[in-house]
Amino acid sequence: MITRELSESKESDAKYRGLLEAAPDAMVVVNQGGEIVLLNVQAEKQFGYRRDELVGQKVKNIIPEGFAERLIADGTRSAAEALAQHIGTGLELIGRRKDGGEFPIEIMLSPLESTEGVLVTAAIRNISVRKAAERHLAQMEGRYRGLLEAAPDAMVVVNQAGEIVLLNVQAEKQFGYRRDELVGQKVKNIIPEGFAERLIADALRSAEDALAQQIGTGIELTGRRKDGSGFPIEIMLSPLESAEGVLVTAAIRNITKRKKAEANLLQKVEELNRSNEELEQFAYIASHDLQEPLRMVASYTQLLSRRYKGQLDSDADEFIAFAVDGASRMQRLIQDLLAYSRTGTNAKHLFETSSEEALQQALVNLRGAIEESHAVVTHDPLPTVLADEMQLVQLFQNLVGNAVKYQNPGIPRIHISAARNGGNKWIFSIKDNGLGIDSQYFDRIFGMFQRLHKREEFAGTGVGLAICKKIVERHGGSISVESQPGHGSTFHFALEGSERES
Amino acid sequence: MKAIEADGRPIEVLLVEDSIGDVRLTKEAFRAANASIHLHVASDGIEAIAFLKREGVHIHAPRPDLILLDLDLPNMGGREVLAYIKKDDTLRTIPTAILSISEAESDIAKSYQLQANCYLIKPAHWDAFASLGKSINDFWLTKVKLPQKSQSP
Repeated sequence: MITRELSESKESDAKYRGLLEAAPDAMVVVNQGGEIVLLNVQAEKQFGYRRDELVGQKVKNIIPEGFAERLIADGTRSAAEALAQHIGTGLELIGRRKDGGEFPIEIMLSPLESTEGVLVTAAIRNISVRKAAERHLAQMEGRYRGLLEAAPDAMVVVNQAGEIVLLNVQAEKQFGYRRDELVGQKVKNIIPEGFAERLIADALRSAEDALAQQIGTGIELTGRRKDGSGFPIEIMLSPLESAEGVLVTAAIRNITKRKKAEANLLQKVEELNRSNEELEQFAYIASHDLQEPLRMVASYTQLLSRRYKGQLDSDADEFIAFAVDGASRMQRLIQDLLAYSRTGTNAKHLFETSSEEALQQALVNLRGAIEESHAVVTHDPLPTVLADEMQLVQLFQNLVGNAVKYQNPGIPRIHISAARNGGNKWIFSIKDNGLGIDSQYFDRIFGMFQRLHKREEFAGTGVGLAICKKIVERHGGSISVESQPGHGSTFHFALEGSERES
Repeated sequence: MKAIEADGRPIEVLLVEDSIGDVRLTKEAFRAANASIHLHVASDGIEAIAFLKREGVHIHAPRPDLILLDLDLPNMGGREVLAYIKKDDTLRTIPTAILSISEAESDIAKSYQLQANCYLIKPAHWDAFASLGKSINDFWLTKVKLPQKSQSP
């Protein structure tokens, strides 16, 4: 009947059919009985039927649910009402192909007045691709959310307007808010300064620029809890492309503990520096002030011994001799202690210094000892180094002095050389044929007041090598010894070379 | 020493020193070097100035041939005493030797800037002290030709 009536107005039918075929979507025209009266080639393709297999069939066969019910409901309303309600509103339903396969569709309905009453034209779009994309997005979001929650730090995702769009449980805890209290709120509420401003700056740049700049750079700001209390935070920003534009993910770390630890460390370092300074000051003042009374003891015991030697009994002479010896030994100790503490307190003046000239000066200072022992001191050409000249002379003097002093009977032979260590450092070596040192003492000999021999064998205060160590360390180098008892010793120390080739 | 003794007067030395131990050591050292030296002692800067200006109990004080001045003094430091002496028209011709424990370059330089005539380090042993006393006597009080006291205002 419908077919017949439609054919009565063949001209309009042909026009409508043309429109139908030109549509990019599958189009199906259905009557109030839910029967298909017209369809286009896209509809054939989409549902896998030939046209004649569908015309006159129930639309339920290809759209099992949601469409026919709506037609009935719509039948009770005027075409105008139905039109007004449905225009532009896509319905998401399921389409079923001839082979039974189903696929997601979106249909748009529009009423079509006809002689048989109101027909409904349905534009049917296969939305399986879009659905898959949406599913993928949802999945990604789910994953992102999972990642967010798994993060050890508080995480907040903020849009360009500075509003919080997503956050994790750590963020809730850290800031003392429930999630729903924060979503949609301005991020300024929890990070009053420095963050929102940065977002605006970031908006002017591409996501890549922003990413490149922000990755790995922590910004230290202040976070504010719901109760108003502040705490130090470090935030790391990374841009996140999304359908709503570039969002910014902020990882927010509470650095209260770290800040405390840093402050603590700083304080400790300051205390240490202060106590070091005080100690050096103390050593200097103590040794300086101790010299005065000691000078009296030394001078008067000596005066006693000079004036009254042989006038008292032999015991008295001996006692006085011990006192004189003790006093002068203590004077040497204090002198060396002073020299040691001066090595540390004087300002550093490192200049290009000829180490050969420094050695020559040291040998001049040691002339007496060298002549007395008939020592033979030789050396290779020595380089120009960055050094405090006075201290370098002292260093050579102490090391060569020791080599001359700690000897078997025989002629001391001492050789000084220097070699580059690959970089710009020079390793100096002072080699002797003296007594040698047991390896168990290698560290100890560089300590303060450390002596390996009885005073009757070798005089000395045990400060010389401690001064050497301090001098070398103040020059940024290190000192060590190689030795075997009976086979001489070689002392090595490293100094920075000068820029200029020597 | 004979140069000064020629007019029959003893040699007058003013020691400005607060440490009695050092005072005695100096006395002993001079006694060993030249028994005719009169050693006068001022135990601080203020007393030294009073002695030199013949004030109060020092009204009969002789004008010294040499001043030995310690730097580390109570009340008025050695540097101030030195500055005072060298600014004073009548006193500045008196040779003034600094005798100090300090080996600090700054102390030495400052003393010469203030016109000290020489700077001596206090020896740490008696032998060295005795030898220094002898050196002072042999040089400042014997070899050196000092201005005639009568010509001083």
